Amino acid sequence: MTTLLYIASMSRDLVQPNAWVAIKLPNDMLRVLQVVPNTTISLGKYGSFPSNLIIERPYNLTYEVQDQEEGETYSRLRIVPGVELNADALADTSADKDAIETSEETAETNDDDDVIVPADGEDFTLVDDSGKVIARSSREVLDDSARQTLTSAEIEELKKKGTSAGQDLIAKLLLSHTAIDQKTQFSLAKYKLLKTKKYIRRFTVLPLDVPLLAHWMLEDKDASKILEMRQESMALLGCWADTHFASQPEEGAEGPHAGQWLVVDDTGGLLTASLAERMGILHQTPEEQEQPETSVADAGSSGQPDGQPTQKPKRRRLNDLEVPYAPNNTLTVLHHNTQPNLFMLRYFDFDNTEINPTPPYHPLYSNLLSLSWLQLVSPELDQTYSDPPAEVDPETVASWKTNQRGNYHRKRRRWARTKHIIDTTRAGGFAGLAVASTMEPISILRHTLPLLAGGAPVAIYSQTVEPLAALADAFSITRRAAWVSSPPAETEGKTVAEIERWEGNDEFPINPTLLLGASIQTSRARRWQVLPQRTHPLMTERGGAEGYIFTAWRAIPVEGKIEARGRFRKRKAGA
Amino acid sequence: MASSSPFLNPSARSRPGDLAIVLLARDSYQPITLEQSTGAVDGYVEGKVLNTRFGSFPHSTFLDVPWGSQIRASHVDTGSRGRKRKLEASGEDTSTPGADDEAKDSEAGSQLTRKAASAPSGFVHILKPSPELWTSALPHRTQVVYTPDYSYILSRIRARPGTRIIEAGAGSGSFTHASVRAVYNGLPQKPEDKKGKVFSFEFNEDRYHKMQDEIVEHKLADMVHLTHRDVYGEGFLVEGKSPEATAIFLDLPAPWKALKHISRRRPQTDGETPKPDDGNWISPLDPKKSVHICTFSPCIEQVMRTVTELRRLGWVDVDMVEVAHKRINVLREKVGLNLPNKKGCNLTPANVTESIDRLKEINEKTKDFNNAQKEKDGDAMAVDPKDSGKANRQGNGKEEEDEKPWAQGRVVHRPEGELKTHTSYLVFAVLPREWSEEDEAAASARWPCGKETKTIGSVDKAARKQAKREMHQMYEMEKGRKRQKRSAGEKQAIGEDTQTST
Ligand SMILES: C[S@@+](CC[C@H](N)C(=O)[O-])C[C@H]1O[C@@H](n2cnc3c(N)ncnc32)[C@H](O)[C@@H]1O
Repeated sequence: MTTLLYIASMSRDLVQPNAWVAIKLPNDMLRVLQVVPNTTISLGKYGSFPSNLIIERPYNLTYEVQDQEEGETYSRLRIVPGVELNADALADTSADKDAIETSEETAETNDDDDVIVPADGEDFTLVDDSGKVIARSSREVLDDSARQTLTSAEIEELKKKGTSAGQDLIAKLLLSHTAIDQKTQFSLAKYKLLKTKKYIRRFTVLPLDVPLLAHWMLEDKDASKILEMRQESMALLGCWADTHFASQPEEGAEGPHAGQWLVVDDTGGLLTASLAERMGILHQTPEEQEQPETSVADAGSSGQPDGQPTQKPKRRRLNDLEVPYAPNNTLTVLHHNTQPNLFMLRYFDFDNTEINPTPPYHPLYSNLLSLSWLQLVSPELDQTYSDPPAEVDPETVASWKTNQRGNYHRKRRRWARTKHIIDTTRAGGFAGLAVASTMEPISILRHTLPLLAGGAPVAIYSQTVEPLAALADAFSITRRAAWVSSPPAETEGKTVAEIERWEGNDEFPINPTLLLGASIQTSRARRWQVLPQRTHPLMTERGGAEGYIFTAWRAIPVEGKIEARGRFRKRKAGA
Repeated sequence: MASSSPFLNPSARSRPGDLAIVLLARDSYQPITLEQSTGAVDGYVEGKVLNTRFGSFPHSTFLDVPWGSQIRASHVDTGSRGRKRKLEASGEDTSTPGADDEAKDSEAGSQLTRKAASAPSGFVHILKPSPELWTSALPHRTQVVYTPDYSYILSRIRARPGTRIIEAGAGSGSFTHASVRAVYNGLPQKPEDKKGKVFSFEFNEDRYHKMQDEIVEHKLADMVHLTHRDVYGEGFLVEGKSPEATAIFLDLPAPWKALKHISRRRPQTDGETPKPDDGNWISPLDPKKSVHICTFSPCIEQVMRTVTELRRLGWVDVDMVEVAHKRINVLREKVGLNLPNKKGCNLTPANVTESIDRLKEINEKTKDFNNAQKEKDGDAMAVDPKDSGKANRQGNGKEEEDEKPWAQGRVVHRPEGELKTHTSYLVFAVLPREWSEEDEAAASARWPCGKETKTIGSVDKAARKQAKREMHQMYEMEKGRKRQKRSAGEKQAIGEDTQTST
């Protein structure tokens, strides 16, 4: 039932050729790139190096770009051990720090300049074996002692050569600046020279996952494309929507199956990616290939497993009317255009515009479904859905030209998939709803609440609080009580299902009894600097959208009149 | 399926044995385990009954209903225990004026055996459990980690389907429930299956036993392994074996004391030389993967010690944050002279015009009054300005009262009355996997350098502009065309990236 298909290129333990990675620079900026073998990766002033030097190496390692060795055409890398990375922070550094920090801020050198030592505003720290700081210096001190201790030839050499070559000289300079007895006491070899992080040619290779991608979009790229959604909000949204891996339904179980989530995503696919990551369907890894394979459903019988389950990697060619979708552990994306905008998924090697991908299949290929609002609300207006392609007998098809035959099959496949998605979505029974959208949330809920299973959570993100406040107001206690005691005349004589789908009026923009526990929250992680004697929250952080989350659960109201009791009655009278 | 936890594989309808969360009122949750009674329980012929201030609810009314259902209160028949007992029970419901009536009603229905009869008022909702609900409803035995913290922590330490996570101490199990949902990726079919799992540790015996009971009751025992242990002294191996964890969460008073065990090699205490039996030492970590840790401490002194120890042990990316969370109330602000005199209405002018009109009105009345006084003939017709004002206001007030109270005023929002302003400081760090010289030699043999053709990453400004122009043209061309979109997408993505290079 399970196959272990080891796809080396998909392993996430080591950097794989052509993997998307994030490279963290000493200034905390991220570069997102694909590690194409046999290319040079250039990090501007932080140096360049061959991509092959990080392929099949672990993630989270920090490297230092070395100077080119004589006779070599590229720079090698040195892995910087964690303890060395921490030396500066561990060192008891109560002195001089403020001065150094200011000089760091004022210095901004040209991108394309070679690193020249000592450059403007560059600082050095000399530490001994135990990490104790012996000397600390900035340019003025170096210049000053350089004039006194070095020959002009030595200084020239220092300026010409790269950093590491100059390290001994700088250490010498620094040493010359410290007390004389210390100078004689230690031999140069015992010292480690550390440069302040701004000029150090170091970088860290990080696996590109959703939190990192989101951080990069937010801080380095275009925050508006992801509605300025921070990790805190994304994490809350995923939890409150209760998204998680859902096991396959038991054999023969009737649909709709638990473990299908509904998504409205105006973040270019970031929300979808974050939910998919929580469900284990975002990253293609050997572990994920171990999962029981998805069975193939037939569009005709709307979501019913059709015969024997198919092994994903060895998927047989589907007959036109079979669809590749999983029965559950799925995300169904509702979009406002004809096609969903999910460009962020490309960083996870999934392209939703690809109709006939080749193996190995990305898990999203079978577990991500999408449809437009029009397809949901008025499927009969959808060209594909409402026009089932005629069944032509195989002999006739065989007599057609290749082109015509291809068209015929394509059309039938498209119809089967569209029909499957529309029918299963409209059948409802979703386990939860997650929204990050600029659309009015009341309008979204009007069409999605009826699709949710009883008790299913609703979680809605908004950059600003106002749309969510209006939403919460539509479900206020007083409004709910008013609905219960005298429902609007329009709903009279309607069935429960009809009242669930009621389109609302001025007084009741939406049936207020369909949600429970409506509340709004906001969360923000405040970062701190933690250093001996210098621990405090960061002085500045990103402003803009604070980010708000609306949460509630889908309620199934009782039929007929119902009266509250207890404290509630008092409150009602007071309101 | 061996077990079907209501947290992970909920059924569509409530079943006997399920944990359910009864929502009594806003922020008022009651966890219950649903029971299918076969006879009278505690004297109730309806079987097991949940008594609340909103009425009595036989479990039978909670069973086999869709989750999220609103459930009516029932008349319950206490049978043998008689009427006195019944009155006591309904006495809980302090503010119900109709308690007596109900008691009478229930007598009328006393022939009922098991089927519960609805009461005329009172209801609750029944919800399927989730970690969020459990966190709000669980019996507190310790401080617990709440949703704003655990959601962020689990995201930062990369707890995902398949992750093996170590947690200490288990405490009240709030974090445990959230993490098992995060790492669950199916039940192990055979013992050697390495599935996502929580390895939890608790040294308080009483808490350990209570937690263990809960785990079994919630049908999570296949995914949570709880150990009764002092982790400072004894570390994190489970039955001598490595959990092979990649995520760690420490909610302990002194996390730095546990860090020495979370190592890839035998920890060395000061001045100690590596022992020859180093090869026998077992690390609790997955040797092939980076490990993410979070420690959770309320005091800054704890943070300092933990951070120093992490740095000393070679953890990288040490980072500390504090999560500030606020719940926001939405209400209708009602200000105006013409509002009904009711709670929630502020009977002061809504704006300057209203104020001026009122002042003018008073002016007029004062003038009239003064004139009347001046005439001083005891004309008896003198009008009391206050009285007339009141009449006027009430007149307007009536009009407003016709309006729906839930639509009056303006929607405003503000943080809740009481804020949790500090929970704990969150320290994060990463421990990369080890990479030996042999590993490196093998990798560089497979990926030799020197054949580089292109450069990616930083490009100069002109080249960047040109690339952008080409990208745009290509994009325009490809619009509407379905094929080859994939390669275009990749190029576009790289193109996008180069714009950010600084
Ligand atoms: C604050 S509580 C943890 C709460 C838990 N995170 C939750 O969300 O419910 C801390 C727990 O750590 C336990 N503990 C303290 N020292 C320990 C040790 N050395 N080994 C194992 N558990 C320990 C305590 O008994 C206590 O239950």
